[in-house]
This record gives sequence, structure tokens and C-alpha cells, in this order.
Amino acid sequence: MTGNPILLLLVLGPMAAGVVGYLIGRRNKALRDGFAIAVTAVEAAAALLLLLAGGEPALSVPGACGMGLTFQMDGFRGIFATVTAYMWMMTTIFSREYLAHSRNRNRYYLFLLLTLGATMGVFLSDDLFTTFVFFELMSMASYVTVIHDEKPETLYAGGVYLAVAVIGGLVALMGIFMLYSVTGTLQLSELLAACQAAFPGNEVWFYVLGGCILFGFGAKAGMYPLHVWLPMAHPVAPAPASALLSGIITKSGIFGVLVLCTRIFAGDGYWGFTILLFGVVTMLLGGILAIFSLDLKRTLACSSMSQLGFIFVGMGMMDLLGEENALAVRGTILHMFNHSNLKLVLFMAAGVVVMNLHKLDLNDIRGFGRKKPLLCYVFLMGSLGIGGIPLFNGYVSKTLIHESIVEYIELLEEGEGTLTFAAADSALLFHVIEWLFIITGGMTVAYMTKLFVALFVEKNRDPAVQASFEAKTHYCNKATAAVLAVSATVLPVVGLLPNLTLNKIADLGQGFLNGVSPEHAVNYFSLTNLKGGLYSILIGAALYLVVIRGWMLVKQPDGSTVYVNRWPKWLDLLELVYRPVVLVLLPTVAGFLCRCLDYVLDGLVLLVRKTTHRQLREGHLLPKGFEGAYLLGSLFDGVVAFLNATFCKRNPIQADFVRYFADQSRIYDEAKREVMSGVSFSLMMFGVGIMVVVIFLLVM
Amino acid sequence: MIALLIPMLLPIVVGVLLMVFPPRQRNVMLGIVLAALAVDLGLAVWVALQPEDALRLTLVTVTEGLTFYFQVDTVSKLFSVLVAFVWLLAGLAAFEYMGHEENEPRFFGFYLIVGGVLAALCYSGNLFTFYVFYELMTLTSAPLVMHELTHEAIMAGLKYLFYSVGGAFLVLFGFFLFAAQGADLTFTAGGVLDASAATGVARLAVFLMILGFGTKAGMFPMHGWLPTAHPVAPAPASAVLSGVITKAGVLGIVRSVYYIAGPELIRGTWVQYAWIGLTLVTVFMGSMLAYRENLLKKRLAYSTVSQVSYVLFGLSLLQPVAFVGALLHVVFHSLVKDGLFLSAGAIICKTGRTKVDELKGIGKEMPVTMWCFTLAGVTLVGIPPTSAFVSKWYLATGSLASGIPAVSWLGPVVLLVSALLTAGYLLTVSIDAFLPGSDYDYAALEKHEPTWQMLVPIVVLTALAVLLGVWPGGLTSLLTGVASSVL
Repeated sequence: MTGNPILLLLVLGPMAAGVVGYLIGRRNKALRDGFAIAVTAVEAAAALLLLLAGGEPALSVPGACGMGLTFQMDGFRGIFATVTAYMWMMTTIFSREYLAHSRNRNRYYLFLLLTLGATMGVFLSDDLFTTFVFFELMSMASYVTVIHDEKPETLYAGGVYLAVAVIGGLVALMGIFMLYSVTGTLQLSELLAACQAAFPGNEVWFYVLGGCILFGFGAKAGMYPLHVWLPMAHPVAPAPASALLSGIITKSGIFGVLVLCTRIFAGDGYWGFTILLFGVVTMLLGGILAIFSLDLKRTLACSSMSQLGFIFVGMGMMDLLGEENALAVRGTILHMFNHSNLKLVLFMAAGVVVMNLHKLDLNDIRGFGRKKPLLCYVFLMGSLGIGGIPLFNGYVSKTLIHESIVEYIELLEEGEGTLTFAAADSALLFHVIEWLFIITGGMTVAYMTKLFVALFVEKNRDPAVQASFEAKTHYCNKATAAVLAVSATVLPVVGLLPNLTLNKIADLGQGFLNGVSPEHAVNYFSLTNLKGGLYSILIGAALYLVVIRGWMLVKQPDGSTVYVNRWPKWLDLLELVYRPVVLVLLPTVAGFLCRCLDYVLDGLVLLVRKTTHRQLREGHLLPKGFEGAYLLGSLFDGVVAFLNATFCKRNPIQADFVRYFADQSRIYDEAKREVMSGVSFSLMMFGVGIMVVVIFLLVM
Repeated sequence: MIALLIPMLLPIVVGVLLMVFPPRQRNVMLGIVLAALAVDLGLAVWVALQPEDALRLTLVTVTEGLTFYFQVDTVSKLFSVLVAFVWLLAGLAAFEYMGHEENEPRFFGFYLIVGGVLAALCYSGNLFTFYVFYELMTLTSAPLVMHELTHEAIMAGLKYLFYSVGGAFLVLFGFFLFAAQGADLTFTAGGVLDASAATGVARLAVFLMILGFGTKAGMFPMHGWLPTAHPVAPAPASAVLSGVITKAGVLGIVRSVYYIAGPELIRGTWVQYAWIGLTLVTVFMGSMLAYRENLLKKRLAYSTVSQVSYVLFGLSLLQPVAFVGALLHVVFHSLVKDGLFLSAGAIICKTGRTKVDELKGIGKEMPVTMWCFTLAGVTLVGIPPTSAFVSKWYLATGSLASGIPAVSWLGPVVLLVSALLTAGYLLTVSIDAFLPGSDYDYAALEKHEPTWQMLVPIVVLTALAVLLGVWPGGLTSLLTGVASSVL
């Protein structure tokens, strides 16, 4: 083991602490909660200090897990390790109140801390092998936190989550196998050169292996068409777990895709274009699903999907722009960072609602937030941030990604596109993508307005319920309130002072993504940049008024209004395609084939025993099934019994007619069968047939 | 060195004595069994620590060319220690399991005898010796399968016997052919036959030997005995049957291909391709059938069919990295599958439940057992950082490096699909066991945890299965040495 052992401690420490916490929890629950909070706080502090100390500490543990594990904390990985630990600290504090009355909390805390260690392992890894090891561990451990309440729908959604994680993990593993067998290394620092040496001409295999790895990590990052778990798992998981799932665990998937984009396909236009297309579809679909959703947490989950789509767009642009990728790189890093913080705030705010009402449907929770200034502040900060409103954090990163698209359009118009096929090289296509980007930004505004208005502006349909909502002044304890307030205040602060905060983060992180510093600082609040944000807001307002208020909000006979689900129920990729294919079609067909194979030899033996090696007549067992013989035998036996009882008392008749007739009938049956199946019988029948034909011909 | 006989003879003698003079008191008998198993493990370790040249023993020459000859190399050491170790743990678990069965002295007697025969099998130095003890193993292990003496058990035992004896006859063909050609059939790394002068008949003979030994290893099409024999045998017996005795078939294939025929004899011929094809079919078929099986022990038996063929797939590639992966998987699968079968045994023994759909909430009743079951299951799927991940890594990278057209990438794909099915048939059990749902009646919960006699083996096997994955260093370097000597 060489290098800085603190890195290993950051990874294994929480896992060991999880086990210790479990043992503590068997004795004292309050102590365990405090212990878990302390562990995450220490973890956050340690990660932050290590990041600030700089010097890019590294660690290698040769021999571990067969291939050896390596870790490094450079700027980018340091930032996300710190964000991970920070989010864990906040959600662990929140968990204490959120889960106060739930069962199996010991299990929850154990797996929460295991997941923390594994996630740290992913973000600190310095080779794809290490990334994969901790990625799998994280998938497995986080499953247990997702299914915490064990309700049927939770278990179902959890099953989907686990299935996607396992399938994705195995497909990614296949890609890593192929990569390793060709390059002979998985070290992030060596991969780029090794790949360029191994695949000078961009062979098909190169893209196949890239696609496999993308499948695995993309599934975690909510990439279409592997996003199905995302809108299902988030609503059912406990709110702290949803915050982590959406905020940081999806980012670990992004981390894997980033490795692909920067270490394997750096500057590859085709790859960048593919990622871009996946990003556009994911972003649009997420936005549409979020608008249609009537479930508070499901809306936020679909929003996550959409925001992850933005990040994919950033990554795609990064590879398309090649050498001049500064804007895309910085936009990607910052959107990852911002989205983590935003979803932490929003999911915890949603968690407060769930904690009080145990309901998620917008019609049920409508009006809950009225006269609750803290909750309103927190949710508003999150909404403005994610909506990309100027002066809030989301605006900065979205602007950067948007600018990178604009930059590429300029390049195309100068004839310097990186692609070679005409359709992808047209500026028109990228104008369309730019507008889709702005429209999706508008969708974000629309669905966040929907949530905010429903929670904080409108009143519940039932005045009694509304009154009970408003009477509820104590809706969370002080620790939760503090966590909410602090994490929400971060958002406008970094949004207002991007040059002091976000730019620094981008500077720190861009090295990992092969980013070069931009030629001049971006003025986020210049008129051209504000224009993009403004368009989004206008489109969002229009969408909100027309689609949500005009179409989804339906007036009832009594004058009140209700949100109606307008999404066609059958239109569900999971139920329509994946489940029937994966759980029914493939296992049935393959299972039938395998069953046939399974019986090949046994069947052969059976065939031999029934034909050439048939067993001889077995003793005098009473055969079953010869009803006629049995009846006849019983009749004779009855007669004999009658005779014995009356006329032949002296010397009774010894006879068992049932057995006799049964034996006779079986002998007859067997003889018949043997005759019928024998060759001579066939020959005889053949002869008879010929004779019949001959007679027929003669007669004719 | 005559001392080599002790680890083979001691269990056999104790076993025979146990059956001839069964002790009155149960505890005395268990004490004797435990002592014999522990001493045997100690002896196996002692043998393993000796330098290789010291361990040669020519016992008796039956006739010209037929000699009982023992020699110990790294492969022998690995297998013998593994066998003795698993034998001790499964035997310990049997103390509790067999408590509710009849004829205990007979069971433990044969159990010990098979242990001794297996040690002899591991130490065999030529094909003749190996063959004799291989048949002996079949005959002495059949009573373990038939132990309950129900109609079903006897039929299953007979099926086991017929399949095994049939397989052994296939081996005999190769043995006769090579012996007739005048080859000295002493196990030599890299083979004793001349690859350049190989005839078609010689290749056929090698193929038949693979098929014959493959019977014990559950390779398609001769796998049929496994899913029949496992469910009826007592759980400790099915544990060693699945964990160890199938590996005797693997050892047979290692010996016949790598130490008698030599890998060059079949490299690139139809024999290698047919072998690879059969293993891949078995890998997929086994896990698919396990996925669709409801009886827990039968599910595990099909799983064994699939997993042992992972090993055979690695061997069939004739490639050093895959060879290391295969032998790693021998060790890891042995630990995992024994752990799983003993857990299943604990469930049967304590609750009487045998079907998977009856196991809802069992994790609450037997938390330690089911934790081990879950960890072992996760290991078998190959989730890092557990041990089977390491062996699968070696198998897959070895396959890709072998450069055999199509197979090189198809192999890993089949392994991964099978891993997915493994997750489907094992993790679902764990999920049902630990997550009975929010409406589970905690008030009616009764603990059914077995005693330490069963828990200790399960926990030790599981812990090793997981920890060897985190730190496989010594084992891999040991096996890399073997691989470079035979390939």
C-alpha cells in the first residue's frame, strides 16, 4: 500500500462505522443516530480539508480484489467527494426526524453508511476497476435504503431499481473486460493514450465496448431508455434516501460516463454526438414526464432525469468541441454540482411534507405550505435554482451549457465541425437542439411553478383539511429546520456570486475533464446570456398557463378544481416492453429450450427402457386400472364369499378372482400391445392393406 | 514417503470402525468424528507444507504398468486442503442436522470413508490410481445420497451410481487406449503424450475422458444426476456432493487434459470446440433451470451444474489466465455452495420448509443464517468485492485473451447472462427472506436460529468466500505458478 492512507479511510471508514453503528443500535437507538451523524460530519470535514490541502493525494492498494485498487483525489474528484459527504451529513441529520417512527432503522443506518463509503470509493477511484467495484457495492447497498418501508409498491419499485442496477452493472463489466483485454490497463491516467494506441482507426469494437460501459453507467445516470427505475424508485424511497439517490448516486453514473467521454473517446465527434442525442431525448422526456406527473416526489424525480439530460448534453458538447471545450466542461461540472445541491433541498422539503401527511398526490397535499414561511423559503430557493432563474445557481450552469451549443453552431458556420456526415454537421440541427434546450428549460420552470403554486398558493379543496394544514405550525424539529435553511441558503449565495464560488469550483474541476481555461471570463449577466434565460421563463410561463392550468386542472361541479392525470396509462416503457420481454418472453422460450436439453439423456434412458430394454413382468402385484376385470373379479369373489358362508362351510373355496382377472386382462393387454407394436404385426397389417387394395382394384 | 498414507487411511479406518462398533453414546461418536476430521485437516495442511519432491510414494505394483503411485504437487495440495477443510465444516454442521435422522453411525462412517478416499484421489500420482479411487469415491458416496432409504432416495442414489459409473467407463476407454500405446501415465505437468503424433482416436479418447469426468462435474449432457440426487440427500451430504465431489470431476479433467494428454493435443481441434460448446450450454442451461425451480435444494443443484461449468469453461480455453480463474472458481464455488447448502439445511432442519415460496420472512426468524445465505448469494452472482468476482474476472479476461474466434467474446457474454440469472434465483430468495413487507406480523415472530454447530460452519464458509475476494493475492500467485507449468 503506497500513498495517502486517509483516502482509504474515507472509503472504508464509513463502512466500518456502519457496522459499529449497527451494534450500537441494538442497545441504544438515540446513540446510534448521533453516532451516524457524527461519522458523516467527520467524513465531510475530512474530505473538505483534504481537498483544501491540495497536492492531489493518491493511494494504491495492489492485490486487493485481484487487480488492485487505486485512489486519487484531484480537484474534480475532491469536489464531488466533498459534496457526497456534505449531502450525507445533511440527510443523516434529517433522517433522524424523518424515520423517528419507522421500523428497521438499524438496517437503514447500516446501509446508509455502507452506501456512503461505496459512493466515496466511486468518486475517489483512479482506475475503472476500482470505480466498478465500488459502483456495484453502491448499487447493492443503496437498494436497501430505497425499499426501507417494505410496502408492496416500494418493493416493486425497488425490484426494478435492483434489476436495472444488476443488468447495467453486468453489461458495463462486459465493456470493461473488452477494454482491459485490448488496452491492458484501466488506469485513468493511462487510458487515453492506451486507447489511441489500441484503436487507431476507431474500429467497431471500440464503440461496442464504449456502448457497453455507457449502458451500465448511463442506467444509473437515468439515461433514456434506461431511466425507467428513476421515476419509480424516488417516490417510494424515504425522502433522505431519495435526496441522495437523485443528488449524488445518479452523479456516480455520470462520473462513469465522464470517464468514457474524457479518457476513452476524448474529442471523438461521433461519440459526442451520440451522447448529445441521448442527452436531448432524456432531457425532453424527463421534462414532459415531470409536467404530467401529479406526485410531488415523482415530479422531482422526473425533473432529475431532465436535469441529468442537461448534463449529458454538456458532456456531448464537450467531445464535439474537442480542443475548445472550456464552456462545455465548466457547464457540465457546475450543473452536476448545482443539481446535487438543488435536489438535496427539494427532496428534503418534499420529505417534510411526506413526514407530516404521508401523502404525495398534489390534490391531497395542496395548500399544505400556506403560512409556513420556512418551508416556503426553502422550496422557493430550490425552485428558482433549478428553474434557471438569473441570480440563482442553476442559471449559471445552464447558461454555460447553452453557450457551448452556441459556440459549436458558430464553429459549424465557419465550417469547422468535427463530424463528417452531413446531417450531423448542419448548423440547422444544432439550432434545433439549442431551441429544444431552451424549451426544456421552460418545462423546468413550468413544473416547478406547478409544485410551488399547488403547495404554497392554492388552498385545499376541503376547507376542513386546509384548516388543519394551517393549524399545523410545528411541522419539523429544530435540527431539520436548520438543515433545510442552511442547504437552501447555499443556492442563492453561489448563484449571486458565481465568480467567487462556482468559477473556483470549475477551475478546480476542469483538469480532470481535460478542460482548458476559457480565453475570457464568461459574463453570466450580460444581455445575450440573460436573453436565453428569459426565453426559458417565457416558455415556462406559457406552458404552465396552457398545459397545466388550462388542460390538467379541471373544474368540478362544485366550483373547485382538481389536477387530473392526462398521461395515457398504457404508455409506459417498463410495463409495455421491458417486463413482458425480460420476465415473460425470454425466460419462457429459453426455459423451454433448457428443459429440453435437461431431459436429453434422461429421456434417452427412458426411451431405451420403454423399448429395447423393457423390464419383464413384475411378480403378482395387484394391477390398477382394469375396471372391467376388477368388477368381474369382485362379483366372482362376492359369489365365492356367499358360497363359503352358506354351502361350502366345511371346505371353503380358495380363490382370488379379482387378482386372477386383473392378471389375465393385463396379460391380454400386454400381448395385444406387443403384437400391435411388433414388426410382424405391422407386416401383417401391411399385407392386409395390400390385399384390400388388390381386391378393390380387381372389383373396380 | 509412507507418512503420506496417514491422511488417506486414518478417516477410512475410523469410518469402518465406527460402522462396525457403533458407540453407545452419541456424544462419544461425534467426538470421534470431530477428532478424526480435525486431525485429517491438520495432516492435509502438514502435507501441503512439505516440499514437493519429498512426497512421492510407490505403494504396490499390481502388474506391469499398473502401479499404485502417489505424488503431491500444488494442485494436489490445493484440492486436498480444500477437501479436508470443507469436510470438517460440513461434518460439524451434520452433528446438528443428523440429530433428527436415523442410522447416524452409518452416515458418519461413510462420510469419513469418502473423506479419506478423496484425500487419496487428490494425492494420486498416475491415472490408474486416480481411476481406482475415483470409482471408490462413487461407490462410497452413494450411501450418503441414499441415506434416508425412502423409495425416492434409493432411486436417486441409483441414478447417481449409474451416471457416475457410466461416466467412468468413458474414462476407461482413454485409459486403455493410452496404456496400450505404451505411455507412462504418470501425471506430468504439460502432459505425457506426444502432441505431434496424435491420432484422431487419441483425440476421441481425450474427449471421452472429458465427458466421463464431466459427469461428476455436472457437464451437459451428463448432468442429470445432480438435480435428482441433491434434494433427497441430507443437507450436509448435498453440501459436500455439490461443493467437493463435483470438484473431483474437475480434478479428473485437469489431470487428464493438462497432466496426461497435454493441452497441445487438443488445442484448436474439434475436441476443444466441442468442449467449450458443452460448457457454455451447461452454464446457461443450469442457471436458467435454477431460475425456474421452486424447490430450494434443487435450485441450488442446478446452480451447481451451471457454476462448475464456469470452471470447465476456464479449463477448456487452454489459456493461462483462464486456467487460474478456473481453479480460483473451484475454491470459491466450493466455499459458497457449501455455505448455501448448509444454510438450506439449517432452514429445513429448523422450520421444515423446502420450497422457495415458503421462505417469506425467514430472514427475521434466522437472521444469521440468512445473512450468510445472502452474502454467499451475492458472492455467487459475482458482485465485487466478493471472491467469485475475482474468478470471473480471470475467466472473462482469459477468454478474451485466448483469441479463439467468436468464443472469446461469446464466453464472457454467456457468463454474464448466467450471472444475471444467478442474481434472479438467489437474490430474490434473500429479498423475500428479509423484506416480508410492511404487513408482516412481527408479534408472531419466532426465532429459529440453529445452534453453533451449524452456525459456525456457515459463518466461516461465508466469511472466507467474501474475504478471499478482497485479498486473493496468495491464491492467485500460487495458481499462476501452476498455470505456467502446465501451459
